[in-house]
Amino acid sequence: MALAIRFALFGCTNRPFFHIVVMEKRRAQRSGKIKEMIGSYDPMPNQDNQKLVAVDFQKLQQWLGFGAVPTKHVAELLGLGGFYPIHPMSYIKAKRKRTLMEKQVADMQAKEETQETAAIQVNEDTQPDSTEDASQ
Amino acid sequence: MAASMKCAWARCLSTILLNSTKHRCQISQPLYASCSNITGDSGNDEIIFRKAEGEGGTDQTRQEAGPADDTKKHRRDPGKAFTDVRVQKILLRLTGLDLDKVYEYRAAKGAGVAKVALMSDQQLKKVYESASYKALRKLQMPPVLGAREPIDEVLSEDPELEGLNTSKLVFIDISQRVPLKKRTIVVREPNGTLRKASWEERDVTLQKYFPQSGRKIGLPRMFQQDNLECMLDDGKHEYILNRACSQFEIDDPEYIRVTQRTYEHIDGNGKFEDLRSTRHFGPMIFYFTYYKKIDKLLVAFLEEESLEDSLDLVKLYHIVHPSCKSAEKVASMPDATPLEIIRAFAEMDATQKSLVQQAIQTYEKECDSTGSTQLRR
Repeated sequence: MALAIRFALFGCTNRPFFHIVVMEKRRAQRSGKIKEMIGSYDPMPNQDNQKLVAVDFQKLQQWLGFGAVPTKHVAELLGLGGFYPIHPMSYIKAKRKRTLMEKQVADMQAKEETQETAAIQVNEDTQPDSTEDASQ
Repeated sequence: MAASMKCAWARCLSTILLNSTKHRCQISQPLYASCSNITGDSGNDEIIFRKAEGEGGTDQTRQEAGPADDTKKHRRDPGKAFTDVRVQKILLRLTGLDLDKVYEYRAAKGAGVAKVALMSDQQLKKVYESASYKALRKLQMPPVLGAREPIDEVLSEDPELEGLNTSKLVFIDISQRVPLKKRTIVVREPNGTLRKASWEERDVTLQKYFPQSGRKIGLPRMFQQDNLECMLDDGKHEYILNRACSQFEIDDPEYIRVTQRTYEHIDGNGKFEDLRSTRHFGPMIFYFTYYKKIDKLLVAFLEEESLEDSLDLVKLYHIVHPSCKSAEKVASMPDATPLEIIRAFAEMDATQKSLVQQAIQTYEKECDSTGSTQLRR
Protein backbone atom coordinates (compact mmCIF):
# COMPACT_ATOMS: atom_id res chain seq x y z
CA MET A 1 0.00 0.00 0.00
CA ALA A 2 1.54 3.26 -1.15
CA LEU A 3 -0.61 5.83 0.51
CA ALA A 4 0.01 9.18 -1.08
CA ILE A 5 -1.03 12.77 -0.70
CA ARG A 6 -1.41 13.73 -4.30
CA PHE A 7 -3.28 15.80 -6.80
CA ALA A 8 -6.43 14.46 -8.39
CA LEU A 9 -7.21 16.30 -11.60
CA PHE A 10 -10.80 17.42 -11.92
CA GLY A 11 -12.24 20.31 -13.87
CA CYS A 12 -12.81 19.98 -17.61
CA THR A 13 -11.17 20.59 -20.95
CA ASN A 14 -8.85 23.59 -20.86
CA ARG A 15 -9.85 24.17 -17.27
CA PRO A 16 -7.79 22.09 -14.84
CA PHE A 17 -8.59 22.01 -11.13
CA PHE A 18 -6.80 19.83 -8.63
CA HIS A 19 -8.11 18.27 -5.47
CA ILE A 20 -5.43 17.45 -2.95
CA VAL A 21 -6.38 13.97 -1.83
CA VAL A 22 -5.19 11.01 0.16
CA MET A 23 -5.27 7.87 -1.95
CA GLU A 24 -3.08 5.12 -3.30
CA LYS A 25 -0.32 6.49 -5.43
CA ARG A 26 -0.82 4.38 -8.50
CA ARG A 27 -4.59 4.46 -8.71
CA ALA A 28 -6.56 6.37 -11.32
CA GLN A 29 -7.59 9.66 -9.80
CA ARG A 30 -11.23 9.48 -10.86
CA SER A 31 -11.70 5.85 -9.88
CA GLY A 32 -13.69 6.89 -6.85
CA LYS A 33 -11.17 5.32 -4.45
CA ILE A 34 -10.16 8.55 -2.76
CA LYS A 35 -9.69 8.05 0.95
CA GLU A 36 -10.09 11.70 1.85
CA MET A 37 -9.96 15.07 0.21
CA ILE A 38 -7.83 17.47 2.18
CA GLY A 39 -7.59 20.46 -0.08
CA SER A 40 -7.63 22.01 -3.50
CA TYR A 41 -5.32 23.82 -5.89
CA ASP A 42 -6.49 26.02 -8.72
CA PRO A 43 -3.68 26.37 -11.26
CA MET A 44 -5.46 29.09 -13.25
CA PRO A 45 -4.91 32.57 -11.85
CA ASN A 46 -8.02 34.58 -10.93
CA GLN A 47 -8.85 38.23 -11.51
CA ASP A 48 -6.43 39.32 -8.81
CA ASN A 49 -3.68 37.19 -10.38
CA GLN A 50 -3.84 34.69 -7.53
CA LYS A 51 -3.69 30.91 -7.61
CA LEU A 52 -5.72 29.63 -4.69
CA VAL A 53 -4.53 26.72 -2.60
CA ALA A 54 -6.60 25.41 0.29
CA VAL A 55 -5.20 22.72 2.58
CA ASP A 56 -6.64 21.17 5.72
CA PHE A 57 -3.34 21.15 7.58
CA GLN A 58 -4.70 19.25 10.57
CA LYS A 59 -5.82 16.40 8.37
CA LEU A 60 -2.60 16.59 6.38
CA GLN A 61 -0.56 16.12 9.51
CA GLN A 62 -2.78 13.25 10.63
CA TRP A 63 -2.32 11.42 7.35
CA LEU A 64 1.41 12.11 7.33
CA GLY A 65 1.50 10.55 10.75
CA PHE A 66 -0.38 7.60 9.35
CA GLY A 67 2.32 7.10 6.73
CA ALA A 68 1.01 8.91 3.67
CA VAL A 69 3.72 10.43 1.47
CA PRO A 70 3.21 13.57 -0.59
CA THR A 71 4.07 13.33 -4.25
CA LYS A 72 6.73 15.55 -5.82
CA HIS A 73 4.36 18.24 -6.96
CA VAL A 74 2.34 18.32 -3.76
CA ALA A 75 5.58 18.58 -1.81
CA GLU A 76 6.66 21.46 -4.04
CA LEU A 77 3.38 23.26 -3.43
CA LEU A 78 3.56 22.75 0.31
CA GLY A 79 7.12 24.04 0.22
CA LEU A 80 5.96 27.21 -1.47
CA GLY A 81 3.27 27.53 1.17
CA GLY A 82 5.76 27.30 4.01
CA PHE A 83 4.65 23.93 5.42
CA TYR A 84 7.74 22.18 4.09
CA PRO A 85 11.12 23.67 3.22
CA ILE A 86 11.27 24.79 -0.37
CA HIS A 87 11.66 21.82 -2.71
CA PRO A 88 14.89 21.72 -4.70
CA MET A 89 12.89 21.37 -7.89
CA SER A 90 11.30 24.75 -7.19
CA TYR A 91 14.73 26.35 -7.20
CA ILE A 92 15.73 24.43 -10.30
CA LYS A 93 12.56 25.32 -12.18
CA ALA A 94 12.89 28.95 -11.20
CA LYS A 95 16.49 29.01 -12.37
CA ARG A 96 15.57 27.35 -15.66
CA LYS A 97 12.80 29.86 -16.27
CA ARG A 98 15.04 32.77 -15.44
CA THR A 99 17.71 31.49 -17.80
CA LEU A 100 15.12 31.04 -20.51
CA MET A 101 13.78 34.54 -19.95
CA GLU A 102 17.24 36.04 -20.07
CA LYS A 103 18.02 34.13 -23.24
CA GLN A 104 14.79 35.34 -24.79
CA VAL A 105 15.53 38.93 -23.78
CA ALA A 106 19.06 38.62 -25.15
CA ASP A 107 17.74 37.16 -28.40
CA MET A 108 15.22 39.97 -28.71
CA GLN A 109 17.90 42.57 -28.15
CA ALA A 110 20.21 40.92 -30.64
CA LYS A 111 17.39 40.81 -33.15
CA GLU A 112 16.61 44.51 -32.61
CA GLU A 113 20.26 45.45 -33.01
CA THR A 114 20.61 43.54 -36.27
CA GLN A 115 17.41 45.20 -37.49
CA GLU A 116 18.78 48.63 -36.58
CA THR A 117 22.11 48.03 -38.27
CA ALA A 118 20.30 46.66 -41.34
CA ALA A 119 18.14 49.80 -41.44
CA ILE A 120 21.20 52.07 -41.17
CA GLN A 121 22.90 50.10 -43.94
CA VAL A 122 19.87 50.54 -46.19
CA ASN A 123 19.85 54.29 -45.54
CA GLU A 124 23.54 54.61 -46.35
CA ASP A 125 23.16 52.65 -49.59
CA THR A 126 20.23 54.71 -50.88
CA GLN A 127 21.68 58.15 -49.99
CA PRO A 128 24.66 59.51 -52.05
CA ASP A 129 27.95 59.77 -50.23
CA SER A 130 28.39 63.37 -48.98
CA THR A 131 32.22 63.40 -49.28
CA GLU A 132 32.08 62.34 -52.90
CA ASP A 133 29.62 65.17 -53.64
CA ALA A 134 31.74 67.78 -51.90
CA SER A 135 34.88 66.79 -53.76
CA GLN A 136 33.05 66.96 -57.12
CA MET B 1 -44.56 55.71 21.55
CA ALA B 2 -46.12 57.66 24.40
CA ALA B 3 -43.63 59.00 26.89
CA SER B 4 -45.07 57.07 29.81
CA MET B 5 -44.96 53.81 27.86
CA LYS B 6 -41.37 54.58 26.91
CA CYS B 7 -40.47 55.18 30.56
CA ALA B 8 -42.13 51.96 31.60
CA TRP B 9 -40.18 50.00 29.05
CA ALA B 10 -36.97 51.78 29.94
CA ARG B 11 -37.50 50.75 33.51
CA CYS B 12 -38.31 47.22 32.40
CA LEU B 13 -35.14 47.17 30.34
CA SER B 14 -32.91 48.31 33.13
CA THR B 15 -34.47 45.82 35.52
CA ILE B 16 -33.90 43.05 33.02
CA LEU B 17 -30.30 44.03 32.52
CA LEU B 18 -29.41 44.59 36.12
CA ASN B 19 -31.16 41.73 37.79
CA SER B 20 -31.53 39.01 35.27
CA THR B 21 -29.01 36.23 35.38
CA LYS B 22 -31.05 33.67 33.50
CA HIS B 23 -32.03 35.81 30.55
CA ARG B 24 -28.75 37.61 30.20
CA CYS B 25 -28.17 39.28 26.87
CA GLN B 26 -25.78 36.75 25.34
CA ILE B 27 -23.29 38.58 23.21
CA SER B 28 -21.64 36.53 20.51
CA GLN B 29 -18.01 36.00 21.39
CA PRO B 30 -16.28 36.77 18.11
CA LEU B 31 -18.07 40.06 17.64
CA TYR B 32 -17.43 41.28 21.13
CA ALA B 33 -13.93 40.01 21.58
CA SER B 34 -12.79 43.40 22.76
CA CYS B 35 -15.85 44.12 24.87
CA SER B 36 -14.78 41.85 27.67
CA ASN B 37 -16.45 43.81 30.45
CA ILE B 38 -19.98 43.80 29.02
CA THR B 39 -21.35 40.75 30.76
CA GLY B 40 -24.28 42.43 32.43
CA ASP B 41 -23.28 40.72 35.63
CA SER B 42 -23.52 43.81 37.78
CA GLY B 43 -26.34 42.79 40.05
CA ASN B 44 -26.18 46.18 41.70
CA ASP B 45 -26.01 49.68 40.41
CA GLU B 46 -22.39 50.24 41.40
CA ILE B 47 -20.53 52.22 38.83
CA ILE B 48 -17.23 50.67 37.85
CA PHE B 49 -14.90 53.59 37.39
CA ARG B 50 -12.20 52.92 34.84
CA LYS B 51 -9.56 55.30 35.98
CA ALA B 52 -6.17 55.07 34.32
CA GLU B 53 -7.17 53.47 31.01
CA GLY B 54 -10.33 55.45 30.34
CA GLU B 55 -8.93 58.84 31.21
CA GLY B 56 -5.64 58.30 29.46
CA GLY B 57 -7.33 57.15 26.29
CA THR B 58 -9.89 59.88 26.16
CA ASP B 59 -7.52 62.67 27.18
CA GLN B 60 -5.63 62.03 23.98
CA THR B 61 -8.78 62.46 22.00
CA ARG B 62 -9.39 65.93 23.30
CA GLN B 63 -6.66 67.52 21.27
CA GLU B 64 -7.32 65.44 18.22
CA ALA B 65 -11.05 65.80 17.68
CA GLY B 66 -11.77 66.74 14.12
CA PRO B 67 -13.61 65.80 10.93
CA ALA B 68 -14.63 62.20 10.63
CA ASP B 69 -12.97 61.62 7.29
CA ASP B 70 -9.45 62.23 8.55
CA THR B 71 -7.88 58.79 8.34
CA LYS B 72 -5.42 59.51 11.13
CA LYS B 73 -8.29 59.76 13.60
CA HIS B 74 -9.37 56.25 12.73
CA ARG B 75 -6.16 54.92 14.16
CA ARG B 76 -7.23 55.65 17.72
CA ASP B 77 -9.30 53.13 19.57
CA PRO B 78 -12.77 54.27 20.66
CA GLY B 79 -13.35 50.66 21.65
CA LYS B 80 -12.05 51.22 25.15
CA ALA B 81 -14.50 54.02 25.83
CA PHE B 82 -17.34 52.17 24.10
CA THR B 83 -16.97 49.04 26.20
CA ASP B 84 -17.18 50.95 29.48
CA VAL B 85 -20.13 49.58 31.46
CA ARG B 86 -21.49 53.04 32.27
CA VAL B 87 -21.38 54.03 28.61
CA GLN B 88 -23.18 50.85 27.62
CA LYS B 89 -25.93 51.40 30.17
CA ILE B 90 -26.58 54.93 29.00
CA LEU B 91 -26.57 53.94 25.34
CA LEU B 92 -29.03 51.14 26.02
CA ARG B 93 -31.29 53.48 27.93
CA LEU B 94 -31.19 56.05 25.14
CA THR B 95 -31.90 53.41 22.49
CA GLY B 96 -35.14 52.50 24.15
CA LEU B 97 -37.30 49.53 23.27
CA ASP B 98 -40.14 50.11 20.87
CA LEU B 99 -41.47 46.60 20.32
CA ASP B 100 -43.51 47.72 17.33
CA LYS B 101 -40.40 49.01 15.62
CA VAL B 102 -38.14 46.14 16.61
CA TYR B 103 -40.63 43.57 15.37
CA GLU B 104 -41.62 45.54 12.31
CA TYR B 105 -42.24 43.37 9.28
CA ARG B 106 -39.28 43.36 6.95
CA ALA B 107 -39.49 41.90 3.47
CA ALA B 108 -36.58 39.50 3.77
CA LYS B 109 -35.83 35.80 3.47
CA GLY B 110 -37.10 33.92 6.46
CA ALA B 111 -39.46 36.69 7.50
CA GLY B 112 -42.46 34.94 8.98
CA VAL B 113 -46.11 35.78 8.80
CA ALA B 114 -47.46 37.30 12.01
CA LYS B 115 -49.54 34.97 14.13
CA VAL B 116 -52.81 36.05 15.68
CA ALA B 117 -53.73 34.38 18.95
CA LEU B 118 -56.37 34.74 21.61
CA MET B 119 -54.86 35.00 25.08
CA SER B 120 -55.59 35.91 28.65
CA ASP B 121 -53.98 38.94 30.29
CA GLN B 122 -51.49 36.73 32.07
CA GLN B 123 -50.46 34.97 28.88
CA LEU B 124 -50.16 38.31 27.12
CA LYS B 125 -47.89 39.61 29.86
CA LYS B 126 -45.65 36.53 29.52
CA VAL B 127 -45.47 36.94 25.77
CA TYR B 128 -44.55 40.61 26.17
CA GLU B 129 -41.78 39.70 28.58
CA SER B 130 -40.29 37.03 26.35
CA ALA B 131 -40.58 39.36 23.37
CA SER B 132 -38.67 42.02 25.30
CA TYR B 133 -35.89 39.57 26.20
CA LYS B 134 -35.61 38.54 22.56
CA ALA B 135 -35.71 42.15 21.45
CA LEU B 136 -32.61 42.82 23.54
CA ARG B 137 -30.74 40.45 21.26
CA LYS B 138 -31.94 42.40 18.26
CA LEU B 139 -30.73 45.59 19.91
CA GLN B 140 -27.17 44.35 20.45
CA MET B 141 -24.97 47.21 19.37
CA PRO B 142 -22.18 46.58 16.87
CA PRO B 143 -19.14 47.85 18.74
CA VAL B 144 -17.44 51.07 17.73
CA LEU B 145 -13.77 50.29 17.31
CA GLY B 146 -10.76 51.97 15.82
CA ALA B 147 -9.59 50.92 12.36
CA ARG B 148 -7.56 47.71 12.34
CA GLU B 149 -3.82 47.94 11.99
CA PRO B 150 -2.57 46.69 8.61
CA ILE B 151 -0.93 43.25 8.54
CA ASP B 152 2.66 43.57 7.48
CA GLU B 153 4.45 40.36 8.36
CA VAL B 154 6.96 38.69 6.07
CA LEU B 155 7.58 35.04 6.92
CA SER B 156 10.38 34.30 4.50
CA GLU B 157 12.36 35.90 1.68
CA ASP B 158 13.43 33.60 -1.14
CA PRO B 159 14.71 35.65 -4.05
CA GLU B 160 15.93 32.46 -5.73
CA LEU B 161 12.32 31.59 -6.49
CA GLU B 162 12.00 34.59 -8.77
CA GLY B 163 10.65 33.55 -12.15
CA LEU B 164 8.92 30.40 -10.95
CA ASN B 165 5.44 31.94 -10.99
CA THR B 166 4.04 35.03 -12.59
CA SER B 167 1.06 34.99 -10.22
CA LYS B 168 0.70 34.96 -6.46
CA LEU B 169 0.01 31.73 -4.61
CA VAL B 170 -2.53 32.16 -1.82
CA PHE B 171 -2.57 29.42 0.81
CA ILE B 172 -5.45 29.10 3.23
CA ASP B 173 -5.79 26.66 6.08
CA ILE B 174 -9.17 24.95 5.91
CA SER B 175 -8.84 22.93 9.10
CA GLN B 176 -12.06 22.40 10.97
CA ARG B 177 -13.25 24.45 13.90
CA VAL B 178 -10.80 27.30 13.64
CA PRO B 179 -12.27 30.78 14.23
CA LEU B 180 -12.25 32.90 11.10
CA LYS B 181 -9.96 35.51 12.59
CA LYS B 182 -7.37 32.90 13.48
CA ARG B 183 -7.26 31.16 10.12
CA THR B 184 -3.80 31.23 8.60
CA ILE B 185 -3.70 32.79 5.15
CA VAL B 186 -0.32 33.35 3.53
CA VAL B 187 0.74 34.58 0.11
CA ARG B 188 3.81 33.59 -1.91
CA GLU B 189 4.65 36.48 -4.19
CA PRO B 190 6.22 36.04 -7.65
CA ASN B 191 9.46 37.47 -6.28
CA GLY B 192 9.65 34.64 -3.76
CA THR B 193 8.52 36.47 -0.59
CA LEU B 194 6.23 34.52 1.70
CA ARG B 195 4.08 36.92 3.69
CA LYS B 196 0.85 36.94 5.67
CA ALA B 197 -2.18 38.00 3.66
CA SER B 198 -3.40 41.57 4.10
CA TRP B 199 -6.79 42.27 5.66
CA GLU B 200 -8.41 42.81 2.27
CA GLU B 201 -6.98 39.56 0.91
CA ARG B 202 -8.12 37.78 4.06
CA ASP B 203 -11.68 39.06 3.82
CA VAL B 204 -12.01 38.06 0.18
CA THR B 205 -10.41 34.62 0.60
CA LEU B 206 -12.40 33.78 3.72
CA GLN B 207 -15.58 34.76 1.97
CA LYS B 208 -14.70 32.38 -0.87
CA TYR B 209 -14.00 29.38 1.34
CA PHE B 210 -16.23 30.15 4.32
CA PRO B 211 -19.01 32.24 2.88
CA GLN B 212 -21.08 34.27 5.30
CA SER B 213 -24.60 35.07 4.27
CA GLY B 214 -25.21 38.68 3.36
CA ARG B 215 -21.62 39.27 2.32
CA LYS B 216 -20.31 39.88 -1.14
CA ILE B 217 -16.77 39.32 -2.32
CA GLY B 218 -15.29 42.75 -2.84
CA LEU B 219 -16.93 46.08 -2.16
CA PRO B 220 -20.65 46.20 -3.07
CA ARG B 221 -21.37 49.09 -5.42
CA MET B 222 -23.79 50.50 -2.89
CA PHE B 223 -20.89 51.50 -0.67
CA GLN B 224 -19.01 53.42 -3.33
CA GLN B 225 -19.04 57.09 -2.49
CA ASP B 226 -21.49 58.34 -5.14
CA ASN B 227 -23.96 55.52 -4.69
CA LEU B 228 -23.77 55.89 -0.94
CA GLU B 229 -24.72 59.54 -1.22
CA CYS B 230 -27.75 58.62 -3.36
CA MET B 231 -28.88 56.09 -0.78
CA LEU B 232 -28.42 58.58 2.03
CA ASP B 233 -30.42 61.22 0.22
CA ASP B 234 -33.19 58.65 -0.17
CA GLY B 235 -33.18 58.31 3.59
CA LYS B 236 -32.14 54.65 3.76
CA HIS B 237 -29.93 55.07 6.82
CA GLU B 238 -30.98 51.96 8.69
CA TYR B 239 -30.67 49.78 5.60
CA ILE B 240 -27.16 51.08 4.88
CA LEU B 241 -26.03 50.50 8.45
CA ASN B 242 -27.53 47.00 8.55
CA ARG B 243 -25.91 46.05 5.30
CA ALA B 244 -22.57 47.54 6.36
CA CYS B 245 -22.76 45.48 9.53
CA SER B 246 -23.29 42.26 7.57
CA GLN B 247 -20.78 43.06 4.83
CA PHE B 248 -17.79 44.34 6.79
CA GLU B 249 -15.92 43.51 9.93
CA ILE B 250 -16.52 46.22 12.51
CA ASP B 251 -12.89 47.32 12.57
CA ASP B 252 -12.70 47.48 8.77
CA PRO B 253 -11.80 51.02 7.63
CA GLU B 254 -14.57 50.71 5.02
CA TYR B 255 -17.15 49.99 7.72
CA ILE B 256 -15.98 52.98 9.70
CA ARG B 257 -16.11 55.20 6.61
CA VAL B 258 -19.64 54.10 5.68
CA THR B 259 -21.08 54.31 9.19
CA GLN B 260 -19.47 57.65 9.96
CA ARG B 261 -20.70 59.14 6.70
CA THR B 262 -24.20 57.88 7.52
CA TYR B 263 -24.09 59.41 10.99
CA GLU B 264 -22.88 62.71 9.57
CA HIS B 265 -25.71 62.72 7.06
CA ILE B 266 -28.23 62.05 9.81
CA ASP B 267 -26.70 64.87 11.84
CA GLY B 268 -26.94 67.19 8.85
CA ASN B 269 -30.64 66.43 8.38
CA GLY B 270 -31.56 65.99 12.03
CA LYS B 271 -33.11 62.57 11.43
CA PHE B 272 -31.94 61.00 14.67
CA GLU B 273 -35.28 59.38 15.41
CA ASP B 274 -34.96 57.13 12.36
CA LEU B 275 -32.50 55.01 14.28
CA ARG B 276 -34.25 55.15 17.65
CA SER B 277 -34.88 51.64 19.02
CA THR B 278 -32.54 50.04 16.49
CA ARG B 279 -29.16 48.59 17.24
CA HIS B 280 -27.42 51.48 15.50
CA PHE B 281 -28.69 54.22 17.77
CA GLY B 282 -26.15 53.52 20.49
CA PRO B 283 -23.12 53.49 18.18
CA MET B 284 -24.36 56.69 16.54
CA ILE B 285 -24.72 58.49 19.86
CA PHE B 286 -21.33 57.22 20.87
CA TYR B 287 -19.77 58.45 17.63
CA PHE B 288 -21.09 61.96 18.18
CA THR B 289 -20.04 61.95 21.81
CA TYR B 290 -16.56 60.63 21.10
CA TYR B 291 -15.89 63.19 18.39
CA LYS B 292 -17.58 66.00 20.34
CA LYS B 293 -20.49 66.68 18.00
CA ILE B 294 -23.47 66.23 20.26
CA ASP B 295 -24.94 69.72 19.91
CA LYS B 296 -27.58 68.99 17.29
CA LEU B 297 -28.44 65.77 19.03
CA LEU B 298 -28.88 67.55 22.34
CA VAL B 299 -31.07 70.15 20.70
CA ALA B 300 -33.18 67.39 19.14
CA PHE B 301 -33.68 65.75 22.53
CA LEU B 302 -34.61 69.06 24.13
CA GLU B 303 -37.07 69.83 21.35
CA GLU B 304 -38.70 66.48 22.06
CA GLU B 305 -38.90 67.65 25.69
CA SER B 306 -37.21 64.54 27.01
CA LEU B 307 -35.05 65.83 29.79
CA GLU B 308 -33.83 62.38 30.78
CA ASP B 309 -32.40 61.76 27.31
CA SER B 310 -30.65 65.13 27.29
CA LEU B 311 -29.23 64.50 30.74
CA ASP B 312 -28.09 61.02 29.70
CA LEU B 313 -26.32 62.49 26.71
CA VAL B 314 -24.47 65.07 28.76
CA LYS B 315 -23.57 62.44 31.36
CA LEU B 316 -22.25 60.24 28.56
CA TYR B 317 -20.15 63.14 27.33
CA HIS B 318 -18.69 63.54 30.80
CA ILE B 319 -17.85 59.84 31.02
CA VAL B 320 -16.17 59.74 27.63
CA HIS B 321 -14.35 63.05 28.16
CA PRO B 322 -13.83 63.17 31.91
CA SER B 323 -11.36 66.04 31.79
CA CYS B 324 -13.63 68.44 29.94
CA LYS B 325 -14.53 71.70 31.69
CA SER B 326 -18.20 71.03 32.33
CA ALA B 327 -17.43 67.60 33.79
CA GLU B 328 -15.14 69.20 36.35
CA LYS B 329 -17.73 71.83 37.16
CA VAL B 330 -20.51 69.29 37.55
CA ALA B 331 -18.28 67.16 39.77
CA SER B 332 -18.02 70.16 42.06
CA MET B 333 -21.83 70.59 42.16
CA PRO B 334 -23.15 67.35 43.64
CA ASP B 335 -26.74 68.60 43.96
CA ALA B 336 -27.10 70.02 40.48
CA THR B 337 -30.47 69.66 38.80
CA PRO B 338 -30.58 68.11 35.33
CA LEU B 339 -31.11 71.48 33.67
CA GLU B 340 -28.13 72.95 35.50
CA ILE B 341 -25.92 70.12 34.27
CA ILE B 342 -27.09 70.62 30.69
CA ARG B 343 -26.63 74.38 31.01
CA ALA B 344 -23.09 73.88 32.30
CA PHE B 345 -22.31 71.76 29.28
CA ALA B 346 -23.85 74.34 26.94
CA GLU B 347 -21.77 77.15 28.46
CA MET B 348 -18.46 75.37 28.55
CA ASP B 349 -18.21 72.56 26.04
CA ALA B 350 -20.83 73.03 23.35
CA THR B 351 -19.39 73.86 19.95
CA GLN B 352 -22.65 75.49 18.83
CA LYS B 353 -23.27 77.32 22.07
CA SER B 354 -26.07 79.63 21.00
CA LEU B 355 -28.06 76.81 19.41
CA VAL B 356 -27.98 74.72 22.54
CA GLN B 357 -28.70 77.59 24.89
CA GLN B 358 -31.65 78.63 22.78
CA ALA B 359 -32.98 75.07 22.88
CA ILE B 360 -32.65 75.06 26.68
CA GLN B 361 -34.55 78.32 26.91
CA THR B 362 -37.32 77.00 24.66
CA TYR B 363 -37.55 73.87 26.77
CA GLU B 364 -37.81 75.89 29.96
CA LYS B 365 -40.60 77.99 28.53
CA GLU B 366 -42.49 74.88 27.43
CA CYS B 367 -42.09 73.30 30.81
CA ASP B 368 -43.11 76.43 32.64
CA SER B 369 -46.29 76.46 30.64
CA THR B 370 -46.94 72.79 31.45
CA GLY B 371 -45.86 73.36 35.02
CA SER B 372 -43.07 70.83 35.48
CA THR B 373 -39.29 70.97 35.33
CA GLN B 374 -38.76 67.81 37.30
CA LEU B 375 -37.01 64.85 35.82
CA ARG B 376 -39.74 62.55 34.67
CA ARG B 377 -38.96 58.96 35.60
